[in-house]
Amino acid sequence: MRKVIHHISILLLFLLASINYSLAQGPPIFTDTPILLGLEGSGIRTFGKFVEKEQASIYIQPIILPYNITPKILLGAIVPLVNKKPDNMAARFGVGDMAVFIKRTLYQKDGKAKTFRVVGKIKQVFPTGNSIEAPALGADSYQTLFGVVTGYITTKIGLYSDIGYNITSNGLSDNFIYNFAVGYPLLRQQYPAKQVNLFLELNGNYFLEPQANNLFISPGVQWITGRRLLIESGVQLPMLEQVAATQKTKFIFTLGIRVLLF
Amino acid sequence: MMKKIFFSVLIITLIISLQNSSSAIAQNKADITYIRIRVDGLSCPFCAYGLEKKLKKVDGAANLHIELEEGIVTLEVPKDKKPTAESLKKVVTDAGFTPREIKFSDIPFKEKDEDNK
Repeated sequence: MRKVIHHISILLLFLLASINYSLAQGPPIFTDTPILLGLEGSGIRTFGKFVEKEQASIYIQPIILPYNITPKILLGAIVPLVNKKPDNMAARFGVGDMAVFIKRTLYQKDGKAKTFRVVGKIKQVFPTGNSIEAPALGADSYQTLFGVVTGYITTKIGLYSDIGYNITSNGLSDNFIYNFAVGYPLLRQQYPAKQVNLFLELNGNYFLEPQANNLFISPGVQWITGRRLLIESGVQLPMLEQVAATQKTKFIFTLGIRVLLF
Repeated sequence: MMKKIFFSVLIITLIISLQNSSSAIAQNKADITYIRIRVDGLSCPFCAYGLEKKLKKVDGAANLHIELEEGIVTLEVPKDKKPTAESLKKVVTDAGFTPREIKFSDIPFKEKDEDNK
């Protein structure tokens, strides 16, 4: 009975909102986009990510607050809520490692119904998640990510890449992050929006010490219902995961909404 | 006799009121400036929302319409509140896009395009 209530409460949290933990700000679902849409503070985004590991279930719900201080510079903060439930252990819920980030458009070439953009980003993660008690909600490490996000987006197709280098502390390995995504709209583009987008993404992370590469393939679907609401869902399946057997991921399921408040 | 007079008055009243309303419509249309802006970079619906938000803040802006595939935005403003092309370019740039051609017209652009065919 407790387990049922536990799962239902997780599902309810899922449905409350959705924040993109990997900083995707619009399409795609798991990969970042070079279009800066802080919209002067009204673009609050959140989604729930359900991670099923060999010996644990993890639910992550980040709240992202982006703000365009100029059309080409965006500041933001991430507050992740984390629920971790290892096998044979009580679940722990709380705030994970918070982060702040800044993005700047480095190059922009617009055409009729299309755009090519390159954005530089820096993200600083702070070890605010409780890492003393088990299960830990944070990585207990300061992490600084330097990245470049590129996108060629038309009304017919979207091609995205998001690569970066993450510098860590406290014994955690530096890692190289790489993400690629293709987005395909099923319906004719119109405004106000009514659109269904299909995405196929590759999301990878290469650790330097010890060397280990983790790569996921991530199909997803996104339904834009109107001007300000988007519902999306995706699953990440491991193609390659060079970690200890007990740390392997079975799958990651994401479900959520993005709402532009006003 | 009374019936004849009554219907005559009714018809005359109808004719006068029709003339007044059509001249009122003509008068209203004459007070409006129609604006068409070609915008590059409009490649996603959420992008368009940001542009719409900014354009709606233009003084007197109404009937705003965005065609994503064509990259065209149309809107109407009262003649006495007609914005400059430069101010409209700034609005589009501030929204994160590239303004191309801006045109002003005294008649709706759909009518103008049909006349030019």
